[in-house]
Amino acid sequence: MAQPPAIEVRSLSKVFRVHERAPGLRAAVASLFRRTYKEVTAVDDLSLSIAPGERVGFLGPNGAGKTTTLKVLAGLIHPTSGHVRVAGHVPQRRETAFLESIALVMGQKQQLLWDLPPVETFALNRAIYDVPQDVFAQRLAELDDLLGLRAVSGKPTRQLSLGERMKCELAAALLHGPRVLFLDEPTIGLDVAMQLAVREFLRAYADRTGATLILTSHYMDDVVALCPRVVVIDKGRLRYDGDLRTLSRTVRPDKRIAMRLRADGPAPDRAAIERLGEVVELEATRAVIQVPQEGVRDAIAQLFASHDVADLTVEDPPLEEVMRELFASTGDARAASPGDGPRA
Amino acid sequence: MRYVRLFGTQLRRSLALALQYRLDFVTSGLVSIVWSVISIVPLYVAFHGRPAVGGWSYESALVVFGWFTLLKGVLEGAVNPSLVQVVDHIRMGTLDFVLLKPADAQFLVSTARFEPWKIVDLGVAIAIFGYAFARLGHPPSAAAVALAFAMLCAAVAVLYSVWILVVAAAFWVVRVDNLVYLFDSVFDFARWPSSVFKGAFSILFTFVIPLALMTTFPAQALLGTLAPGTAIAAVVASLLAAIGARRVWLRALAHYTSASS
Repeated sequence: MAQPPAIEVRSLSKVFRVHERAPGLRAAVASLFRRTYKEVTAVDDLSLSIAPGERVGFLGPNGAGKTTTLKVLAGLIHPTSGHVRVAGHVPQRRETAFLESIALVMGQKQQLLWDLPPVETFALNRAIYDVPQDVFAQRLAELDDLLGLRAVSGKPTRQLSLGERMKCELAAALLHGPRVLFLDEPTIGLDVAMQLAVREFLRAYADRTGATLILTSHYMDDVVALCPRVVVIDKGRLRYDGDLRTLSRTVRPDKRIAMRLRADGPAPDRAAIERLGEVVELEATRAVIQVPQEGVRDAIAQLFASHDVADLTVEDPPLEEVMRELFASTGDARAASPGDGPRA
Repeated sequence: MRYVRLFGTQLRRSLALALQYRLDFVTSGLVSIVWSVISIVPLYVAFHGRPAVGGWSYESALVVFGWFTLLKGVLEGAVNPSLVQVVDHIRMGTLDFVLLKPADAQFLVSTARFEPWKIVDLGVAIAIFGYAFARLGHPPSAAAVALAFAMLCAAVAVLYSVWILVVAAAFWVVRVDNLVYLFDSVFDFARWPSSVFKGAFSILFTFVIPLALMTTFPAQALLGTLAPGTAIAAVVASLLAAIGARRVWLRALAHYTSASS
């Protein structure tokens, strides 16, 4: 029998009532006396199911409803309507067993105590989660192994770099051994090396513990590296749910051929290349063209025939472009058709 | 049991925080001592060498002032620092982290921070009691001390409940800084025996903001002049306040929308 899902969401909606006013002092004064409110639908009839141990990326533009969804799943926000179950619990009830089985890491907010070293936060969380001393020591050692905490966790938090702080944030959130992990932009603001470190850590952690992982990020590399499955949300609605490659192929069926020519050979023949496909880039020894999937074979053959090729690669278009295109075509049936994201 | 341990951890953390900055630690200790001494002056001016004001002699008014000092210590040392933080948590959205913890959120936010130096106020209060009773010429009876302690518990419960209500308001209106200042300045009236106030103020400070319950009743208890009926009413009122505050807090939590990322 199949395992029950780690996360089950049915027809989730969340409507916020927000205070609204025109810009300027006059409107500000007026709003003291009479406030106008409007309703904003942050999440609109969202349904999905995530199996234990799955790693899922939530994608969508700013304000799409990703963070709101995460917060509903973590039990921080009460849904307006719909059913949500996480690890067998209804999140909004905030039962102890539920809270002990999840963790939420937010790249833009921190739980570390600012004036004290991170070890103090670790100790506090140990007391709150009632983790036995030996288990705590063992987990801390494991996390140290993956993140290299020892060097930084004794310094006051305010003296740590953003990257060091993020490592400690992750450790603080994981010391109680959660089975479901929500990550809201965990790599935001980090330099490339640190982004890579955090990504590798998350992957290793998920592999080691079998934890279910939901990630939102603006860095597509995070999603590509960590999440075989993506859920695209736009204006609170589910636009796509399925495998990342399929999404990329559905939105941008084209392929990119990048060719490098020998430096001592003849220059690229612009006219010949333009006949093969759309030119993305063309320099003295390098050319990138975009061709329909079915034309890749022919194009490569012709490129080899007409140029002195040193190196050639075929790639999918960058995910950033795929996303831009996807969100530009709001209301377009193509991306949202049910056949795109077959889920069992 | 778990909460006792957690309380201990929180206390230790506050101490660590206070010790983190050495100069700040020393100055806040000095400030505590100096303030406690200075604040006796207005009372001395108003009561010393005069006939009783509103039925209160200088000595008995000193006892009220002793309770005021003690309660101010409790307020500034144990209640205020934590709950002021909650308001920031709500505004910044970091209350998320508190709500994610598998422990009662009200307990966690209420014990988040202590100012260890405010213990000085306790010492000053005891010194004031000692001085007042030395002048009166007789120590309080054991029963009076016990009743006074019960009144202190009621007073702390009421004080804490009023604070929770102020903080709960932040869930709806987000910024409550001025409400906090307002409460601080109103609380300052508690240094005077409640019968000094007449008419509308008397009603306001007895029923709306129960300052009488906070300092006058414990003082009367210690002096042996508190009517039993009043004592019982005070305990009942404090229980009701605590229950009411808890209910408001739970409603406020459901209203929490979290700040966006």
